[in-house]
Amino acid sequence: MDYGETADVHEVHAAIQREKREPRVGLEPLSIWLIAVYGLAIFTGGAYLGRYSGNFSGDGLDPLGGPPPAKKGSAAGPGGPIQELTPRDRGKKIFAANCQTCHQANGLGVPSQYPPLAGSEFTTGGSKRPAMIVLKGLQGPVTVKGQKFGSAVMQPWDKTLTDQKIADVLTYERSEWGNNASPVTAEQIAALRKELASHPESYTEPDVLAVPAETELPGGAPAGAAPPKPGEAAKPAPPAPPKPQS
Amino acid sequence: MTPTADIPLKEPVISAAASDAEQLERARIDASTRVPVLMFYASAMVWLLIGTLLAGFVSFKLHSPDWLSDVSFLTWGRLRPVHMNVMVYGWASMAAMGTAIWLMARLCRTTLRHPLLIVAGIWFWNIGVLIGVIGILMGYSTGYDWLEFPSYAAVVLFVAYALIMSWAVLMFRFRRGDQIYITQWYLLGAFLWFPWLYAAAQAMLFVVPVQGVMQAAVGWWYANNLLFLWLGAIALGTAYYMIPKVIGRPVYSYHLATIGFWTYALFSSWTGMQRLVDGPFPAWMITASIAATILTIIPVATVGLNHHMTMQGYFPVMRYSPTLRFTVFGAMSYTVFSIIGILISLRSTARYLHFTEASIAYSHLGLYAFFTMVMFGSMYYTVPRLVGREWRYATLIKLHFWASAYGVGLMSLMLLVGGFAQGATQDDPSMSFIQSVASALPYLRGRTVAALLLTISHFIFAFHFGLMLFGLGRTSTVPTFLNPVEAEGSETHL
Repeated sequence: MDYGETADVHEVHAAIQREKREPRVGLEPLSIWLIAVYGLAIFTGGAYLGRYSGNFSGDGLDPLGGPPPAKKGSAAGPGGPIQELTPRDRGKKIFAANCQTCHQANGLGVPSQYPPLAGSEFTTGGSKRPAMIVLKGLQGPVTVKGQKFGSAVMQPWDKTLTDQKIADVLTYERSEWGNNASPVTAEQIAALRKELASHPESYTEPDVLAVPAETELPGGAPAGAAPPKPGEAAKPAPPAPPKPQS
Repeated sequence: MTPTADIPLKEPVISAAASDAEQLERARIDASTRVPVLMFYASAMVWLLIGTLLAGFVSFKLHSPDWLSDVSFLTWGRLRPVHMNVMVYGWASMAAMGTAIWLMARLCRTTLRHPLLIVAGIWFWNIGVLIGVIGILMGYSTGYDWLEFPSYAAVVLFVAYALIMSWAVLMFRFRRGDQIYITQWYLLGAFLWFPWLYAAAQAMLFVVPVQGVMQAAVGWWYANNLLFLWLGAIALGTAYYMIPKVIGRPVYSYHLATIGFWTYALFSSWTGMQRLVDGPFPAWMITASIAATILTIIPVATVGLNHHMTMQGYFPVMRYSPTLRFTVFGAMSYTVFSIIGILISLRSTARYLHFTEASIAYSHLGLYAFFTMVMFGSMYYTVPRLVGREWRYATLIKLHFWASAYGVGLMSLMLLVGGFAQGATQDDPSMSFIQSVASALPYLRGRTVAALLLTISHFIFAFHFGLMLFGLGRTSTVPTFLNPVEAEGSETHL
């Protein structure tokens, strides 16, 4: 017979027979010394929390409650107060992260593969053409500064970059490398993005050429305005805080 | 020599003996849990052996990194997470659930209904761990400590857990008798905390990942809480049962037990972030965890005192009872583990230690010296009752105990001292990083010796357990004592 089927107490395994009763609980009182230990622990824990809490500040990394690192830098003061990044500075970072691989840091592109941005008639003309190209991408043969390009495809950036970022990078491209064209704002890009929402494909050269070269996006500074100086350009732009990842 | 003869008995022997009806009921309950619990234990033993061999590989590779390094799935970066996860989910969780189911049935005084559903849960759990291990070996580790299993393995584990847990909780629902014993608090708590921890960590890391560095905070919160609220809670509950049961004396104080339980639940759940000292977090988050770690001294002192006072006068019984020897070793290690945990998490020491081997020592103190030793103790108690045989060789039990005790002691010592050496070198700007690696090297070799001891101990235990499983234990009315008992009547204490 299987052990598990035993029903007779006399066949119950010896281990169970010799067992003690199930454990019970005594009711001894708390010792005064233990209460002292509790008090000491709570005091120590509380004191520790108070001392190293960094004033419970959400951005205080210093447990002793020193100022957050950014302000600390300004207190030390060698670089003076930290400036808000201008749209052009932000654009430079976005360009370095997304565009530089093909168009190169000097904006000259790669001969017969990637068209230049420096002095390009597309980049420096009215703001609509470059904005269209960045938003939706460009494919097929294209002629820039008299040279033919056509092997590479530019991807659309409307899914990847925000209006602000596209505006910043265009502002940068249109004022760097000797280019001298008007800045672009996030509102202009937002309007254009809406206008182009129904256009699913990448543009080709004829699409872009169909837009007159001097067409500006509505709502911007007049064409041929002076290139934005760092700092000045920051004023009309919305005070978007610099994103840590850009 | 008759050390047990003069043990002060708090109450007469007669009242400590169980009645016939009680024995019969207990036999029925034990029989109903037999298949699932033995299956839990057998699976846990297999994973323990696998995990132990992996630990040997991992330890060896740290000082001889070129060995087998051209086989992708045998590289350190894959074997180490496999070792940790096999130990946590394969060995520790399965042994814990086995013991917990057995204890729950006994303490609720209800037979385990439909044990085959739990058996299905055990299969699922084993499959989940196996899938996870293969996933990590193939390079699909998630990269979070203790959560490396790919998500599909986590889903299988969750289904398995739901099957197992629902029966444990149902037993509690159908309990008989008025009193709820301390062990039941811990077990019920653990059974409800684990799904909460696991689901929260999975959701916040993989389903809807929290932002950036907060993932590290979630990861460490999970790892620490798994150790405390899942494995630790079951081990404490088991100790609360085994110690008074074996010596036949009531637990010292109900009040201490209550305070110990609630402060344990309250403070442990805040810990974890002390491992991120000086990380890019608001200082208060880390400090709150350190303060909670300091406060864990309250449950430690309370539970430790409660166990100590229960044992007082009965310590000589550890000479004879394997269960008591392992369990008391584990319960004492809980105190050591927690105090070392407090010392290495203070900002002043954590600066040196938190990127060193010392944190590995801390994990081993918790998972092995405390949890695993208590589990070994409970297995020495339950297995003879489940298979109807006594352990065959007292010598093997003694070897198992001493190899485990010296093994984990040596390992913790080596890693702690090695961690200090490593941390001090890392903190010295005039030393290059490679010097800090070299400073830990002798200790890492020492750790390999410790791993060897533990391997021996586990193979001995697995062999002994296998004998019991195949019905090759002793048929006897006398339990297997570690040392021959000369005193008359002393077997009633075991």
